[in-house]
Amino acid sequence: MAGWEREDPGDLAGREQLAGRDYPADGAKQVVQANRDFLANGAIRIEQADRMDQADLDDLVIGGRRLSSRFFLGTGHFPSPAVLREALDASGAEVITFAVRRVNLDAAGDDSMLQHVEDRGLVYLPNTSGARTADEAVRIARLAREAGLGRWVKIEISADPRTLLPDALETLKATERLVKEGFVALPYTSDDPIVCRRLEEAGASAVMPGGAPIGTGLGILNPYAIGLIAEQARVPVIVDAGIGSAADVAQAMELGAAGVLVNTPVAKSRDPAAMARAMRLALEAGRLSGIAGRIPKKKYASASSDPAGSLFGPPGGAAVLGKAGW
Amino acid sequence: MAGRSVLIVGGGIVGLSCAWEAAKRGFRVTVVEKETFGGQASGAAAGMLAPFSENAAGPDAFFRLCLDSLNAYPEFVREVEEASGMDAEWRRAGSVAAALHEADWLPLQSRAAWQSAYGGRCELLEAADLRKLEPALTGEALAGLWCPVESHVSAPKLVRALEEACRRSGVTLVGDAGGVTKLETRGEAGAVLETERAGALAADRAVLCAGAWSPLWERWLPIAVPVHPIRGQICAYEKAAPEVRHMVFSSQAYWVGKQDGSLVCGASEDHAGFERSVTEKGIGRLTRWSGKMFPFLGGRQPSRSWAGLRPATRDGWPLIGPVPGMPEVVVATGHYRNGILLSPATARWVGDLLDGRPAGLAYGGAFAPERFTRLAAGASR
Repeated sequence: MAGWEREDPGDLAGREQLAGRDYPADGAKQVVQANRDFLANGAIRIEQADRMDQADLDDLVIGGRRLSSRFFLGTGHFPSPAVLREALDASGAEVITFAVRRVNLDAAGDDSMLQHVEDRGLVYLPNTSGARTADEAVRIARLAREAGLGRWVKIEISADPRTLLPDALETLKATERLVKEGFVALPYTSDDPIVCRRLEEAGASAVMPGGAPIGTGLGILNPYAIGLIAEQARVPVIVDAGIGSAADVAQAMELGAAGVLVNTPVAKSRDPAAMARAMRLALEAGRLSGIAGRIPKKKYASASSDPAGSLFGPPGGAAVLGKAGW
Repeated sequence: MAGRSVLIVGGGIVGLSCAWEAAKRGFRVTVVEKETFGGQASGAAAGMLAPFSENAAGPDAFFRLCLDSLNAYPEFVREVEEASGMDAEWRRAGSVAAALHEADWLPLQSRAAWQSAYGGRCELLEAADLRKLEPALTGEALAGLWCPVESHVSAPKLVRALEEACRRSGVTLVGDAGGVTKLETRGEAGAVLETERAGALAADRAVLCAGAWSPLWERWLPIAVPVHPIRGQICAYEKAAPEVRHMVFSSQAYWVGKQDGSLVCGASEDHAGFERSVTEKGIGRLTRWSGKMFPFLGGRQPSRSWAGLRPATRDGWPLIGPVPGMPEVVVATGHYRNGILLSPATARWVGDLLDGRPAGLAYGGAFAPERFTRLAAGASR
């Protein structure tokens, strides 16, 4: 399946392909027709339903790497190495992020956290957390690459110690420079559609707008902005920071995100492995829900069945209903 | 409920502190320990009393419990030393968090800002000031945070002093009892415990302080006790303590100089079941990092190394409080890396519960023993 290789998550054809259905690219009319054909078959076929279940299993591709999971997990704050490993298992995450300043750059195998996960073939997404300027972020990214932690980097630049909100201008500068140096750059940024577009133009392999400040668990404070970012982006949008629970993950995916990055809401929950699993399921549910498409919001009620009581038949269709055997 | 006899199960720092507290309040106390007192995590601990250094994220309930316990420590140690006639070597050495990256400055700033409201009196240090405070630190250290209010204690000596204080206060200490084979609760009539080697023991109340062995109690309790052992490996360099003036924390390890001249370095954590041996990997990474952070230790091998099993819970916080539906039983376990620090606060809390007073209200339900139970029961509610 083509999936995000098309790098066009907002486009309808892409979405239909993700749902496992090969509808033509040009739009709603044909989708409607296809739906009619589907219903005309008289029953919902199990294999069709199975294919829809697998909509979330299509691959996300970032920096040329095919990823089987859209769940990116941060490794900080876990109560114990055993709990971290359990949560990793439950999340299914293939990409993990950690602060470069926290790890042992002389020997990753000696590191207090990495030693517990190095057997798993994970993609490392070292982050520049703590950086206050583009210069600092670039230096940190280089340190990580020299230490053999790969060429992916999450650019995180904060100018304020209380909110840790990203500094968009410095983030853009760092993205431009790191892309030129051959990094797979994933900038963490504010939920500003224009900034996200500029980052994409600068060569970011994905953009990672925050739902709310890091570690606050406030959820997605501006769903409108996140939806707009997801709609316009031609690179994957990973909602990073601010997620509080599985509901927020589902919302991010419904809004069209290609994935989520979380840390605190898993690590500091009462049961991190259970929360990781809940979020994995929410990610799948939210993605499927977004693909299926929510109904328009209406002011007044409309009955689920017509006055004659039929589900799908034409008006006055009691006889038709009988014939179809429903 | 009004009973005045208490059975404490588990002879580590938490069990002995609860026993000592209960004895001070006039209870008849028996402590039953399956092997030797302080023989597990308690005796292996480095004795760091450092809630500011170890809770950088924010003032949550756990930090507040740790801080309350730190503040209770001077008086706690004074009383135990007086009652036992032994020295627990409590020292308010202060701590230094040493940072190797310019990117550490911002998080240290965040930490100093919120901790000042809690009496941390932390000060940010530029490289030159850091070097003045800790001359033996590597030149690679770019910044630091000094916290003068943190302290440390000799965990093995404190355990021995507590044991002696308990003995002198009339506490019955039953060591080498083997495992508990049965717990029977009889409501107002109290609790009866059967052990492998010390027979049956009965009291009005039972307090469970079994650390990493606590999950064994699940078969008698109506709650889930998801405690798992995390091995903590530690080593010590002889005669190195005078070179290091404070407790020093870094991203990979900490160091603390003890009265006997040894510099203790910890800890490598892993999940190895109940295995208590040290590994080349676990000690090797501490040795290599010690040489990096303190060049005078470069190439030196530690003179001793050992490991303890830390009782960790799923959220990293202890279980402290009464067992719902079983008023004669109190749980105090799962203290993980903070058993030494948390003992005074835990003991006071348990003492209040035994006295029938409200306790632990300041922490909400953060440490409620039943907080993992709904999940384990398959979320039937």
